This record gives sequence, structure tokens and C-alpha cells, in this order.
Amino acid sequence: MSPMTKDATVYWKSLEELRAERHDSSSRRDEFVEPLPWKRTTGARAFQASTPPADPAVDGASRRDFLALMGFSLGAAACSRGTTQHALPFVTAPEDLTPGVPNWYATTCGGCSASCSVLVKTRDGRPIKIEGNREAPLFGGGTCAVGQATVLSLYDGQRLRQPLWRGAPASWQEVDEKIESQLRTTGAAQGRITLLSATITSPSTRDIIARWSRRYAGFRHVVYEPVSYAAIRRAHQTLFKRAVLPHYRFDNAALIVGLEADFLGAWLSPVEFTAQYARRRRPGRSMAHHVQFESTLSLTGANADVRHAVSPSAIGHLAMALLDRVSSADREPFAADMSLALAASELDALADRLLRHRGESLVVCGVQDVEVQTVVTRLNHVLGNIGHTLELSPCSFQKQGDDEEVATLVEQMQRGDIQALILYGVNPAYDYPNQQAFLRGLERVALSVSFADRVDETASHVHAVCPDHHYLEAWGDAEPVTGSFSLIQPTIAPLFETRAAQDSLLKWLGEAQDFHAYLRSYWQRNVFPLQTGRRNFEEFWDGVLQAGFLNAPVPVAATAALSGPVVATARRARDGQPRELRVGTADRFELHAYETVALRDGRHANNPWLQELPDPIAKVTWGRGLAIAPAVADRLDLQDGDVVTVTGGGVRVELPIWRQPGQPSTTVSIALGYGRTGAGPVGNGVGTNAWRFLGHGADGLLGLHPTVVALEKTGRFAPLAATQTHHSMEGRPLVREATLEEFLTDPGAGREAPEALPSLWAEHEPGSHTWGLTIDLSSCTGCSACVVACQAENNVPVVGKEEVARGREMHWIRVDRYYQGPASSPDVVFQPVMCQHCANAPCETVCPVLATVHSSDGINEQIYNRCVGTRYCENNCPYKVRRFNWFTYANNPRFDFNMNSPLGTMVLNPDVVVRSRGVMEKCSLCIQRIQAGKVAARQSGDSIADGQIQTACQQACPAKAIVFGDMQDPGSQAARFRQSPRHYHLLADLGTRPGVGYLTKIRNREARTR
Amino acid sequence: MTSAPRHFLVATFSNEDALRAAAREVRDRGCRIHDVYTPYPVHGMDELIGIRHSRLPVATLVGGLAGCATALAMQFYMAVFDWPLNVGGKPANSTLAFVPITFELTVLCAGLVTAAAFLTRSGLVPGASTVPFADGTTEDLFALVLRSRDVTIDVAEAGRLLLESGAAQVVLKDVSR
Amino acid sequence: MPGTARRTLTPAVECARPVPLRPAWLEGSLALRQISDDIALPLSARPGAGWFVCIAVSLTALAVGVACVTYQIATGIGTWGLNKSVGWAFDITNFVFWIGIGHAGTLISAILLLFRQHWRMSINRSAEAMTIFAVLCAALFPLIHMGRPWLAFWMMPYPNSRGPLWVNFRSPLVWDVFAINTYLIVSLVFWYFGMLPDFATLRDRAGAGGKKRIYGLLSLGWDGSQRTWSRYETACLLLAGLATPLVISVHSIVSMDFATSILPGWHATIFPPYFVAGAVYSGFGMVMLLLIITRRVMHLQRYITLAHLDRMAKITLLTGSLVAFSYASEWFMAWYGGNADERFVFVNRATGRYAWAFWTMVACNVVIPQCLWLRRVRTSPAALLPIAILINVGMWFERFVIIVTSLHRSYLPSSWVMYYPTSIEIGTLVGSFGLFFTCFLLFIRLLPMIATWEIKGLAAAQARGRS
Repeated sequence: MSPMTKDATVYWKSLEELRAERHDSSSRRDEFVEPLPWKRTTGARAFQASTPPADPAVDGASRRDFLALMGFSLGAAACSRGTTQHALPFVTAPEDLTPGVPNWYATTCGGCSASCSVLVKTRDGRPIKIEGNREAPLFGGGTCAVGQATVLSLYDGQRLRQPLWRGAPASWQEVDEKIESQLRTTGAAQGRITLLSATITSPSTRDIIARWSRRYAGFRHVVYEPVSYAAIRRAHQTLFKRAVLPHYRFDNAALIVGLEADFLGAWLSPVEFTAQYARRRRPGRSMAHHVQFESTLSLTGANADVRHAVSPSAIGHLAMALLDRVSSADREPFAADMSLALAASELDALADRLLRHRGESLVVCGVQDVEVQTVVTRLNHVLGNIGHTLELSPCSFQKQGDDEEVATLVEQMQRGDIQALILYGVNPAYDYPNQQAFLRGLERVALSVSFADRVDETASHVHAVCPDHHYLEAWGDAEPVTGSFSLIQPTIAPLFETRAAQDSLLKWLGEAQDFHAYLRSYWQRNVFPLQTGRRNFEEFWDGVLQAGFLNAPVPVAATAALSGPVVATARRARDGQPRELRVGTADRFELHAYETVALRDGRHANNPWLQELPDPIAKVTWGRGLAIAPAVADRLDLQDGDVVTVTGGGVRVELPIWRQPGQPSTTVSIALGYGRTGAGPVGNGVGTNAWRFLGHGADGLLGLHPTVVALEKTGRFAPLAATQTHHSMEGRPLVREATLEEFLTDPGAGREAPEALPSLWAEHEPGSHTWGLTIDLSSCTGCSACVVACQAENNVPVVGKEEVARGREMHWIRVDRYYQGPASSPDVVFQPVMCQHCANAPCETVCPVLATVHSSDGINEQIYNRCVGTRYCENNCPYKVRRFNWFTYANNPRFDFNMNSPLGTMVLNPDVVVRSRGVMEKCSLCIQRIQAGKVAARQSGDSIADGQIQTACQQACPAKAIVFGDMQDPGSQAARFRQSPRHYHLLADLGTRPGVGYLTKIRNREARTR
Repeated sequence: MTSAPRHFLVATFSNEDALRAAAREVRDRGCRIHDVYTPYPVHGMDELIGIRHSRLPVATLVGGLAGCATALAMQFYMAVFDWPLNVGGKPANSTLAFVPITFELTVLCAGLVTAAAFLTRSGLVPGASTVPFADGTTEDLFALVLRSRDVTIDVAEAGRLLLESGAAQVVLKDVSR
Repeated sequence: MPGTARRTLTPAVECARPVPLRPAWLEGSLALRQISDDIALPLSARPGAGWFVCIAVSLTALAVGVACVTYQIATGIGTWGLNKSVGWAFDITNFVFWIGIGHAGTLISAILLLFRQHWRMSINRSAEAMTIFAVLCAALFPLIHMGRPWLAFWMMPYPNSRGPLWVNFRSPLVWDVFAINTYLIVSLVFWYFGMLPDFATLRDRAGAGGKKRIYGLLSLGWDGSQRTWSRYETACLLLAGLATPLVISVHSIVSMDFATSILPGWHATIFPPYFVAGAVYSGFGMVMLLLIITRRVMHLQRYITLAHLDRMAKITLLTGSLVAFSYASEWFMAWYGGNADERFVFVNRATGRYAWAFWTMVACNVVIPQCLWLRRVRTSPAALLPIAILINVGMWFERFVIIVTSLHRSYLPSSWVMYYPTSIEIGTLVGSFGLFFTCFLLFIRLLPMIATWEIKGLAAAQARGRS
């Protein structure tokens, strides 16, 4: 890295060095015969290692490194209070691992069954960061908050260290013996063996399961999804005789009608859909129009051009009403006998708009009700969208829940008809509505095995817990959508004595083969033939392993022929609703249950990053309240945090309320995924378990069926920790927006940027670069993936509920959310705000000790070990992006999150210092990535290409709303954005001249009269 | 100073008027008054004793100028020459921002120099021993001291003169330093 | 007043002239020896019960403060109620409050000296002492409010191994460091100079022994020679002349902590004069409070007369009116300036979540002082005592309002938060009062709390004026 050693003649100054020349060329450039100690931390041994110092060194130790280390040790003395580091040397140095240089592996995200392709950054053998796979066409290179956070789950202290038999630690051998003998007897007796699993997108695993059914006559595989999409599959079964989950193509839709489907937030495959959505929502003539009908203000609804707040029971009627209007075939008078929250004229308009966009519109519905889904599917069929905006082939395998099967299974279990039950990736004792029934049944099962990675609600009741690997430790594959294959490869040796579930399944089948070999042979047999590119399998395998995914040509099926009765079901959809639901009464409300962006179904509840991630809409962390319309709350005299009992459908829970603008007055909404008891210290007892409100409907489907609840004030107060407590922009031009028409006539519409006054001082001479960010508010959906990505990249500490409630969250980037217009149906805007890196930074002027100064390439730098913590900069920052270390957040039992354990600290990024108590911190524009990019460019000898350096927030953004680049390079996308007429600076009139800019938000609708 | 004992005529008074009268008296007889000791500053004596105007203000001025110069030099050196940094986009030489510190240091140095000058000039140092000509001059007595050498007339004559002009008592003191 | 026409240097000259002074600043005619007897009495006599009660209370408060500060430094600033938007609250409020208190002392001892106000003579010594103790209390807060107070010395531009890396001379906090230290040092010198002749008196009163030796050391061998006296008075005048602009500069610089920022509600050019007026206002409140109690406890009614209280009350009324005017002009500028953010901050002060603090401030600083128009109030200790206390309450809240209400509602509504103090912060405030009163109570026992020599001159003059 030091240029002086590049082309100079090489002298040797010791025999060791001379000898070293022969085999080890890297040590030649080392100045020190002994490598510097911290560089020896290894993946295998890293378990004992705490975080190495921040140091951008990329190859052998030089004087620079030495000085850097000296610098760090000074910093450590001031900053990290000298944490002891155990660094153990390699016994034999592994090839292809240069200390300090990250290795990247392509794999598939195990965060949810959407199975996004991702890249994993490992440093010294430890996975420390998840990034989207930019090459993968299906997911577009972004990630979601959950995906970003999965890397922390790898280092979750709750994970089992070894298998358990009847709750006691046991060796794999004894556990296997016991299980195998039991299975033998059961198999001999033709007993019923059931594998109850979550959705399995892995073809090879499904193949193993197929072997089981061949082996055991009584074997059955039941897929259980707490949030099931079975209704959609059933609807397609009814209409097309094909029980498939369509593959939605929002990028082909010019008109999107969402019915209670949060497809940008938590529904089915958010990253994929967000990428498609953003592609189609770029301001311009082809910008899609999005109408959303929903009963809870969701991320999707917040991004819709037109949003209607309706009660859940109205969704079916709306679908029917639309179908009535668009289908000329079976039109019949639609009786608008109920409050649809919108006039018939509006419906007509929407229907006409749909008809105008035949084949390029998409109606997507998230209601778990066959009738409604049938109507919706029919609607899409009538509009000719099948095959265009939603495909039946290829179709999606991302949710395969089979609800009646689950119901029957539970019955059989209770009857004692099930001899062996294997639980794979499911936790029914937590999220099955009738947990008691399930647990009663479980007691009567002769052999119950769970692959859970921790003793969760279910695993605590089974005979054997055979902990599965974390996906970052495991081999595997996935086929989320027909023909889109991807591989899962280990990025670290298993931290504990765990074993891949597939290995266990093979072992118990008596297969000698381990899963890795099985996987390869499966791909050789089934996937290799699908492609024509490569002839040699090894080549093919390595290629896919390197790329992480494979797109095989998909046999396009003939457009589905319609069959089956529609009208009947449709009419049922309209009239099937319970009467009392049609009017919202004073103290009785319809209940809606929804998955949150951060926690989804709650499987990641023990992940502190996700618990502390502010909900994109409510901005609440560490649990959620019962969403209720502000007007109703006023009527019932309820304040945020007032605890109420929610009673209905035979269930009774207590939780605080949250006044949620955009909530229909007839409906209250409760979040799923909370109220864990077996997740671990972080997740246990956060929020309330709402799964019990769900249930099997008359059609056997598992989901929330129309429920009426009554609220009762308890008088107790349980404040919720929100990171944003004021929701109006107070008429200040912070987020600037325009309608599409205005934009088309004048691209600068709505920008109304006040001219910044001329600076009093001469410009400082800029360096070779001027780094900056531009953020397209029109693309940003507010999904908050950037927040977690930044947290992972920059070692941002988790502070816990009390501190967040005090207004002390540490996130370097936040997504401001403002409401506009009436509280009943507000417009929502999102604005990611991080340090604006002002050229005339107010924070710099006031710092007495020069702890924050401006770099020559446009970065507002914060020097932690110079900071004495006067907080003057925080006061003087108009953007309030500076974060102060009020306490010691690392290795402090008071903040018992990931930074308090040797295991948890393994996730820390060695390139970033862990800040000590009493210093200010803030967004550094990922300066460590910039440095790495510079070093790489210097080594390769060519200049830094645009896009070569990406900040963590930019990389994670599934909508590509954040763009980092060199403003001096006119070709860079960031610079081009800055030239855009939509571009403006936040609070430009203060004359801070920020390095971060925003593009106006464009709404595709008529201007709203404010 | 000679080691030979020096003779002083010490007259004590109970109030400043008597002191002033006596001083004027002996002064008119052409005697040089050695010094006057009083519990509080008595005015109008300076010209009688012949004390010239103090030059302390000069010291103050010098101190002030020195402080001002030091402050400006320090700030220019540190912020402009030694290590200029881009702070809030402001020029390295933000002269206006240097004014407050310059002012403070000016005042500080001026004050300290004045104090130091006064103490040294008056020989006031910790542990300085004083042999008072008369007890109680810090309490309620006013003492007028003539050095016999400076007494142009006969010493006894002078003593009588002082007694006449209201001295409570007159003593002849030999002080050997 | 009489004699201002004459070219004279000091009030002592006035005293020397047989012109009757109105009003008499000393009750009755006092023999010189009696004066020093009275003033030296507390230094030898055993303190009364009242003093012991006071010191007990003060020491308790001080102990509370020490405990809180220790805990906070050991645990972190997080033990205070601050957050991502409100970076300062109690800490800097207390800092500005105490610095303000100090200003009255310097005003009395320096500015009134230049204006030849004789009535200052009875009170200037204790007022200067108050200044020094107040500045000590003030200096405490910038230290402990740092995230890493053990690195406070980094605020000083000293040669170091970091480049050397100097300090940022553009930062008002660095200005503060210089201003406060200068203020403290100059005040100390001035205070000590004033006591030199008194130390000599005490030295000569004391019989042989430790006491004599100590006073001997302190008096630097002062012998009351005419040459020293005249030089001495010049020196005092010069120091007074330096202290006068200094006292004004100090609070101006403190106000620049806010005035130079870009925060609505802070960014105001009126702050320097506004703060100086407020400082003198609160300072005189505190002087009255102290002296009303002391003259009673120490039986010094003859030296600190009702006439003194009357004068102080008048100055309080004047500065109070200046403060009220500043409030008015602040509001006017907020409206007239047309800056929406600025306007919002002021409306929010009066109507927002912290309106109670704002109205407390207005009541104490604008309404209450109006009582001082009445002579009967100005000359009644019983009436002045509560007013003095309320004035200080009001001025504390003024700083609280300026700091907190501006910070908790700044430019981006997304960052709007509330601030609630913790017990630690309150304990620290209590502790600073403990420190202040402990110092003062020790002072009145260990040092002559009235300038004996000046009073003697005054008494002599008064006597002559009477005869």
C-alpha cells in the first residue's frame, strides 16, 4: 500500500526476510518480520477475539500500519477504554485470506422465505455485513431491514450450543440413536410421521423430504405458515385448476390497486416488489399510478398516490364492486349498502382507469379469504393481466402454507394419531392461534423433534432439539420463483455444535451422504441440465457458487384457461360478511392484524437491531401499540400509551394504544410478531402476542377472519418509545413535492428552493474529490433498510427502550416521516436524513477542540478521540443528526445487547472504531468504504469509477433512492442528480451548503387541495 | 544605606486635620517631611511631602500592549501558520473571531503587570518586616516623621513646633537598619 | 452629587472635604478604633447560632452536589435528562446564572468606584467575595458538562504531541475559557488589593503568635506610608478601569455562546447587552439577599444601612427595566424580522409545553421588580428579601427558557423532543448553591467583610461634615 515500496529495488534486511522471499511474497512488503499482532485474528479462533481496531490497511504491515496502530492505541486509550483483546495466531495461515481485506461470498438470505440473493462480507473469517447481490435480476441488489439484521442473529447468544434430549444437553450420537430407534419402530408399525415445516424454497431439501415419503408409508409433509397465502393459491385452484402463488410483476403495471396488501413492507417478497415498484414509479410519462385500499396505514399505503382507509370487511365488497364494474360478462347491479369510505363515482372512475389499462394493471390483495381472492383473481383475469403483471408460470414458491393440513394435523395429534413429529423452522406454540390445542397434541406425540436454533416456545416442549445451522453457516439452495435458482454457502465454520436440518434428515434416513454432497448431486441431476451455458458441471457449480444464483429458462405455460364458478363465489364474497361488521359502533371495532416491517412473523424477535428499528410509519421501537384513529381516541379519551383490554373472538389481550392517523374509525389494528416468551432476553416480553386473534375459518384457511373487538380502558399507562413525536412539517418546506402533471410541464415544480445567500468567505480549495449524496424522495419508500445497514456497517450501538424514549437513539441515518392533510386520510412523506456534510458546517465552527472539521474531499469529519463532548455541535446542527454517547454502550451490562458479549461483538466492523462514552458521533459517509475504494484504485492504478464506492445505506436501498458519488465528476449519477431541476438542499436558506441533496417527491395524481 | 543609626523625629496625631496643619507648619519652616503614616489615605499630603505623580499607568499600558500582541501572535500562528484547517468553510484567518481572546489577554496582562509593578515599587512582598515609627498608625493614629538630617532647624525646636501644632506626642527615634 | 466638578481622584478626597454628605452612609459617629473593633469582631469572636445553622445547611447542600457530580462523572452524562436535540439544559443554565451573579460584585467595586459612589464602601468587599465564589460555581459547570471532563485541559492551546493540534479560536467556548479565567484572576487580585491595609490593621491588632504571623504574611509588610497610599490608590483606580470593560466583556462573550449559533431563539445580536443587564440585575438581587441576611446575623446594621439597600434596590429596578426592555425588543424583532422559524420559537415559548417557565420568568423579572418603585419597599429588608429571591429565580428561568425552549423546537420537527431534568441535575444545582454559601459563610468569619480603611475615611469625613 505504501507507494515507496512499489517499484523500488527490493533489499532484504534480515535472513528471515530473504528466506521469506521464496514462499511468501506478501511478507516481502512487510516492514516488520513479525506481523503486527491484531492482524492474526482468524475466523476459527475469532470466537475469542473481540473487535480489532479500525484500520484501513489492506495488505502486509508497513510503517503506515504501524503508525495507524499507534494512532489507534492512542484512540483506544481515549475511546475504547482499553478493552482487552485476545488475538490468537494462525497455526497455518489459510490461503485466500488476507487479514484486513474482506472476503465476499454469494449466498441466499435466510431472513424470510422470499430468499433474496445476497453477498456476505466476511472480515478475518467473520461474516459482518449482508449486502444485496447487484447481479441478481430478480431482487435488484437491495435488501430489507430484516435481511440486513440476519447477520446479527448468527451471533445470538441464545442459540443452542449442542443438541438437547428432553431439555438436557446431549451429544449428536445419542440424540441420533434415540431418534433413529424411535423412527424405526414407528416405521415398522406404519405409524404416522409428520414433518411440519415452514415454506421450503429449497428444491434439494424438498427432494430429501420426498425420499422420506418414499421410505415411510405414514410420512406426511405439512407446510405451516402463520401468515398463510393459501387463499390466493386456492383461488387459482378454483379458477385455473392450478394451486399456485402468482409471480407478481409490479414493474409491468401502469396501474396498481392494492387491497390490504403491504407488498412494499412485509407482504410476500418486499425487496423484489420494492425494486419493481421503484422501477415503474420513476417520474415520467410511464410512471405507474397506485391506489391502495387498506385498514391500517401500511408502508405501501403510505407510498400510494391515492389511499382509502376502509375496514377489513369492506375489502371484499370493494373487490366485488370493481369486478361488477369492469366485467361486462357477469355484470349485475351492485348494492352499495355499506360504507366503502368512497363514493360510487370514485369507484367508477377507478374501474374505468382499470379498463383503460387492460393488461398493464394489477390488483393485488392480501386478504386471507378464498372468496375475495377469487374475485381479485377473476378481476385480474378480466383485465387481461394474467401473464403480464402477474405470472402463473413462472410462479412463486415463497409461501406454501397449507392450512387445512395443519388443522387436520393438530386434530390428529390431539387424537394421538401422530407417532413422530419433526418441526422444521416453525414455532406453532408461539404463533399458532390455538396454541393450547397444539401443545396438548404435542404431548401425545411419541417422538417430537425440533430443528429450532434456540429453546423457543415450541422447542421447550419437544423430546429432541437438533439445532439447525444459521444460514450463514450452512449449505443449501433456493428456488423462490420458478427457474430462479440460488445457492446458500457457508461463510463461517459453525460457531456451535449445530447440524444442518438436511443433514439430520439424511442421517435419520440412513443416508451416508452429507448434505453438501447431496446438494451437488441434486444440482448435477436436476439443475445442471436446465442450462446450456456450461458443459462441465464443476465449472457450472463454481460459476453458480460465485454468482450466487442461476436463471434457468422457464417453460412458459399456455395462458391459464378460466374454469369454475365465479359469480357464485363472488356473490358470497359480497354477502358473506357478518352483518354487524358493516357499521362501526361506539366501542366496538373491527380488528385488523398485520405484520410489521421490522419483525414480520416474530422469528427475529431476539434481534436488537430489529427491535430498535423505528417502524417506518409509527416510528415506534421496542413493541407496538394498538393503532386507533385519533378522532376515536379523543372520543374515548385515550392518549398514546393508555393500556386497554382488547376483547373479541374469545380472546382478551392488554396493550397500550397508539393514535394512528389514516386509521379508519371503524377499525383498530394490532401488530403480529410480538409477545415472544421463548425468543431470548432481548425479544421476550416485548409487545403483545396477537396471533390468538387468528384462526381457521369456515374454509379451513388460517388467518384473521372478521372479528369484532371491544376496548376497555384499564387506567394503566405503558408509554411507547417513539423516535419521532411530532408529525407535521409545520408548513416548512422540508419535503418538497409536486404532482406528475406539474412535473411534466415543469420538471422543477414544487422545488420552490429559496436561494441560499452568497457566502461571506472565499471557497476553500477542493481536493481531488467532492463526495456527496443525493436522495430521490420519489423513489424512497421509507422501508428503513438503510437504517439497519448503517447500524451494521458503522457499529452503531443499540440503546434499549428507555433510552429511545428519552430521545437518545443512536442511528446515524433516520427516516423522517411527516403527515400532511387531515388525520383521517393523511398524505405521508418520507425523508432519510443523515449528516448533510455541509460545506459551511455550523457544528465545525463551534467545536472548541477541532474535533469536527472539514476534509478536502467534502466530508464533515468527526474525530472521536479528540472530542471532549461539549455537545455544542449537536445544539448548533440544524439537522439534528449528531448522536452523543450518553453512556458506555459497549461491554456495559446496563446495555445488554450485542455489544456486551464476546459473541455479539463478533459482528462489529473492524474498520470502524467502537465509540466510547462522552463523545459525539454521526454519519461519516462510510469513510472507511471511501478509503478502501481509494486504496483499491491506487493499487489498480486507475481512477475511482462511479458506483465503485457505495455507502451502506445506498447499497441496501432496494429502491435505489440513495446515490453516492463524486460531485466533481460530471458523469457520476450523483452529480447528474444534483443537476436535476428536482434537486434541492434541506434548509438551504441557512447557507450551510450541504453535500447531501434531495430530489422532489412526485405524486401521480391530481393536486390535493390543502 | 549606611549602617550608622539614623535619627527620626516622630510626631503622632489623633486626627488628620492636626496632621495636615503640622505638616504644613514644618514644611513652611523648610523641613523636608520624611513620610507620613495614616490608617486611611489622607489627601492633600502628597504635595506637602513632595510625592511625584505615580508612573503606574505606564506599566499598565505596557502590560496591555504586551498582552494584546501576544494574543494576536498566538492566534495567528496557531490558526493560520502552524495548522490551518477548514472549519465550517471559514477562512483560516478569521480575524474577527480572534478579537474576544485578544481583548481578554490584554486586560489580563495589563492587570497583572499593574499589580506586580505596584507591589515591587512599594516593596510589598510576603514576609517583609516593618518596624513602625509609631504603633497604631494602621489603627487610628496619624504619624508625621522627620529625618533629623533633613531638619534644617534645631531638632528640639522642631519638636516644640510639632507639639504646638497639635501633636499628641513627639519622640526622637534611632533606627539602625 | 457634590464635588463631582472638582478634579479629584477618589471618593476619599470627597471624604476629606468638610462637605456634609447626604445621606449619611454610617449610622451615628464612629471612632476609628471602634470601626476596626466592630469589623474585626467576627474574626475572633465565637460564631453565633445563626451562623452555625447556615453553614450546616450549606455543607449539606454541598455534600449533595459532590455526590451527584461524582456519580455523573463515573456513570456518564446520560444521568442527566439531555437527549439528541437538547444538548444543554441545567448545566449551561446554571453556568450563565452564576456568571451573572458575579457581575454585581465587580460593578459595585469597580464601576461605582469610578463613579465615586461612597455607599459602595460598606458593601464592596463582600460583593467582590460574592463575585469570586459565584465565578467558581460557574466555572464548575462547563467542566462537568463535558462528556469527558478529564480531558478539559484540551480546551487550552498548549503545545502537544498531536501535531501540535491547537484549539478552535472561532468557538465561543474557547472565548469563554479565556474570559472566565481572566475574570477570575483579575477579580481575585482586585479583592486582595482591597484587603491589604486591613490585613495590616489586623496584624497590628493581633498579639504575637500564629495569627500575627499569618496576617503579617498577607499584609506584605504594609505600613500605611503616605507614598504607598497614594500609589495604592492609583493602582486601585487602574484595576477598576480594567475590570469595568472586563465585566462587560465576560457576559457579552457568554452570550455569544448563543448569539453566534444559528439556532432560532439563540441567534440574536441583542444578546450581549441583554445578558449584561440581566447579569447585573440578578447580581444585585443576590447582593441584597446576602447583605440583608448578613447585616442581621453579623449585627452590621450601622455599616450596611437601609440607605444602602435603597440604592441597591434602585439599581435593581433600573437593570430590571433594561431586561424587560430586552424581552420586548426580542419579541419585536422576532415579529419584525419576518423569519418564520424565529417567530415560531417565540410563540412556542409563550404558548408551548414550557410556557410555565416563560411566564415564571416574566412574573419574576418584569412584574415583581415594579414593587421597587415604592420607597417603603426599597427600605424594608423584610420586603426586599423575598423580592431578591424571586429575582434570582426569574433570572435562572430566563436562561432555562432561552436554552431549552430554543433547543427542543429547532428546524426539523422530526427532532422535536421534550426535556425533563433528572434528580442528578437538580442535586448538582443545589450543590452549587451549597458551594457558594459555604464559601461566603467562611469568608465572613475569616476575612474582614467590610473595607475597614475606607470606612475609616468615610467616618472621619462624616464626623467633620457633622461638626
